[in-house]
Amino acid sequence: MEKLLLRNIGVPDSHTLSTYQSRGGYGSWRRVVESIKSEQVIEEVKASGLRGRGGAGFPTGMKWSFVPKDSPKPKYLVCNADESEPGTFKDRLLIEQDPHAIVEGTLIAAYAIQSHTGFIYVRGELVFGTQRLERAVEEAYQAGFIGKNLFGSGYDLDLIVHRGAGAYICGEETALLSSLEGGRGWPKVKPPFPATHGLFGCPTVVNNVETLAVLPWIFERGASAYSAMGTEKSKGTKLFSVSGHIARPGVYEVEMGYPFNKFLEEDCGGVPNGKKLKGVIPGGGSMPVLKPEEIENVKLDYESVQAAGSLLGSGGVIVMDETTCMVRAAWNIARFYAHESCGQCSPCREGCHWMEKIFYRVERGEGQKGDLDLILNISGNIMGNTICPFGDAAAMPAAAFIRKYREEFEEHIVQKRCTMGC
Amino acid sequence: MDPVKITIDGREVVTTKGKTVIQAAAEVGVTIPHYCYHPKLSIAGNCRMCLVEIEKMPKLQIACNTQVAEGMSVLTESPKVLAARKAVLEFLLINHPVDCPICDQAGECMLQDYYMEHDRQASRFEVGKMHDRKKTIFGPNVIFDGERCIKCTRCVRFCQEITATHELTVINRGDHSTISLFEDAMLDNPLSANVVDICPVGALTDRDFRFKVRVWYLEKTPSICPGCSTGCNISVETYQNQIARFKPRVNEAVNSHWICDEGRYCFHTLAAGERLTTPMIRQEGGLIPTTWEDAFAAVYKRLTAAKPLAGILSGRNTNEEAFLFAKLVKKLSADAALEVFYQERELTETQKILISPDRSPNFRGAREMGVSSNGGFAALMQKLTAGGFSGLYVVGEDLCGANGAGEQIRTALQKLSFLVVQDTRMTETAKLAHVVLPVTHFGEKDGTYTNRKGRVQKLHAAVIPPDGTLPDSEVFIRLLAAAGENVEYSTSADIFAVLAREIAAYQSLDYDSISDVGIELGRGGGGAS
Repeated sequence: MEKLLLRNIGVPDSHTLSTYQSRGGYGSWRRVVESIKSEQVIEEVKASGLRGRGGAGFPTGMKWSFVPKDSPKPKYLVCNADESEPGTFKDRLLIEQDPHAIVEGTLIAAYAIQSHTGFIYVRGELVFGTQRLERAVEEAYQAGFIGKNLFGSGYDLDLIVHRGAGAYICGEETALLSSLEGGRGWPKVKPPFPATHGLFGCPTVVNNVETLAVLPWIFERGASAYSAMGTEKSKGTKLFSVSGHIARPGVYEVEMGYPFNKFLEEDCGGVPNGKKLKGVIPGGGSMPVLKPEEIENVKLDYESVQAAGSLLGSGGVIVMDETTCMVRAAWNIARFYAHESCGQCSPCREGCHWMEKIFYRVERGEGQKGDLDLILNISGNIMGNTICPFGDAAAMPAAAFIRKYREEFEEHIVQKRCTMGC
Repeated sequence: MDPVKITIDGREVVTTKGKTVIQAAAEVGVTIPHYCYHPKLSIAGNCRMCLVEIEKMPKLQIACNTQVAEGMSVLTESPKVLAARKAVLEFLLINHPVDCPICDQAGECMLQDYYMEHDRQASRFEVGKMHDRKKTIFGPNVIFDGERCIKCTRCVRFCQEITATHELTVINRGDHSTISLFEDAMLDNPLSANVVDICPVGALTDRDFRFKVRVWYLEKTPSICPGCSTGCNISVETYQNQIARFKPRVNEAVNSHWICDEGRYCFHTLAAGERLTTPMIRQEGGLIPTTWEDAFAAVYKRLTAAKPLAGILSGRNTNEEAFLFAKLVKKLSADAALEVFYQERELTETQKILISPDRSPNFRGAREMGVSSNGGFAALMQKLTAGGFSGLYVVGEDLCGANGAGEQIRTALQKLSFLVVQDTRMTETAKLAHVVLPVTHFGEKDGTYTNRKGRVQKLHAAVIPPDGTLPDSEVFIRLLAAAGENVEYSTSADIFAVLAREIAAYQSLDYDSISDVGIELGRGGGGAS
């Protein structure tokens, strides 16, 4: 299959402007500015069927079209490079190896909504990646791809790279905006939505790195070429970060609708050392775990994974073999969410820690009868009742682990020890 | 104002576009439980207590941030809503110390109240509560207990949005989140103690009030702050006939939900000290107790003889008292000089939110009652220090202690042929008097104040005055009687009825129809329109 997102990965000096340009880079950007109206850019992306790759899968063109055209306020385009979802490292690869694709995509998206200032908000821990992005932006400025009167069109656009301060929650788009504004990384209550009241109260679009990085390809080859790939509702290709008990971990680009089992077995080499698969998280740490029998006929697209009872999310595939203690895995994930809860709203602030403490107790062999139902009850009380999707992200995996591996949890409680030898 | 029709629990409600569900519900008397929502602060949406079910919406919505829409159907008591409310309360309580027996908020705590209404389950939390800072001083008037805090951020938003002084913020993350002062900041703005009022739990308590009284013993009397001429609406809260605290009462025309710290604690000064409980008369160089009859006789006789005569009334005296005082002094001497005590000061921008430059709550009203001559208070004081008066009648103010010119005034007062001081305490001025008359203070009487913007508001007696004192009005009535003018009225309502006939601006105002939030002159029938 042709690589759209990974096409420059592995090319020597792929991060430099000269290499990027030698492979056609910034051709789309020039063509867009010189010959395509912003409305047409939006229409083209709508036609491509591209959906947001941050996890929610919202149609990108439609998101752009929510930005009011007649607003007297400045408009902002923000590239969400705060990749922090457990088990997800696809954006990092692009940031470090193909930063110009992100820059070019961000410029195209900014043009689509007629923004004159774009931001790339990078995860604080990605120091090297930030350097690469800053260098790429600098090169693009020097080459005249960013700045005033681009290609003589009269269109001005600035692009600013901003490093976050190290909070998972800042990947949530409104928390990202709060952080970018200089405030605490707290999600904002919605409505209003960023499209009308985003950064500094102005119309704003926040798009994921992977979403933006594919735009140059789409404008090079056309929307129909993109929509020709994938399934009816999930178009194009998707990056998957594969980790855990797998022979060949790494970042993979596959066409939407690719069989999950085949992907794990053939592309990724399957579970190594002759061990059996025990469970797999398909979309990053916040998505429900799936058992081997649940993924048998699952395809890697939004609809199919959802039908199987989980979500495609960020495409962070975490593979767990039969030696994995599911109690410890659940506790590990619960601990992450307890640590990362921003503390703003009551159910998440209090509930995440409560669940974590009970998981810990069960794993230590101090679990009590009723603990599992209590966690299920707490997770149910968090679900849907919080300001942002973080609450659901903490609640869903907790409940899924217990529902799907309940016997193992109960054994921990009855035997008062970790039965997997942890 | 486009009307919008919605239903709340099956009941049709007509409200206006732009209102939120919580506001629309409040308009028809339905209180949707909430912590972080406050009508005067921005929407935080963080407590999740006001989750309601809205038809056609898959998830519960927070009523504080959901705008009404035509045909919207809201359920505030559905099984889903009740379950969510119970869950939210449980979350808020798991790390709470539940130290109600030693918590000052007990009795007016929304955690207690909502727990009884919506939760009522035993704790399921047995994995170790979070700990946080206890008894942390935030400022001169406010102390913080982090473990009781539910992080509703009302206090933070108050300091950002109302005072714009920005002392407080949230620090840390997750269940370590807590409220904190910014580095080098103190919560010492002029409105700081309001954060105690808006704190729905026992996290922020009042350093002045705490541990004094359990709140359920308090008796609450609606009244007006005597601190300045803004006339903030307050509740005077008393225990065993002592004022324990002032709390603000909501009045959007005056003080909204707030009072300033100066006003909040002014009762300490105004009601403190040893009270005078017997009239005194100067004999052989000293003030000795006497009877009211002898005191009245002396005052009447000597004041009539002392010309030129001046009268100074405190701005804390009510309209009714001022009306009688003006009548009395003019009766004693037709060309007497009359003024209301006045002192002005510079205010900072934050003070200006509520505080008026002059400390006299009824300066305007008392003048309108006739306690004014040409020239004003400063001119009268100038004439006094220049020895321009022979007799002086001072009510409720300590002229010697009042400002920098204390010594000069003291000398002037000593030269008077007759000085009557009517007050609650033995002030420096009273010590120089020929007759001292013990009276009651603002908390012991009924009456009306007119604030600087012309709003007539009622104060009510909150405590019983000590034996031996008389209300100022009674003193004036008795002296008027001595002067041959027998008045047929005695209660504040009676006096007000008479002044409403005689003072143009107050015409057709009716004492009984002045509600607890007062009435603006010129509105509701006032003659000033």
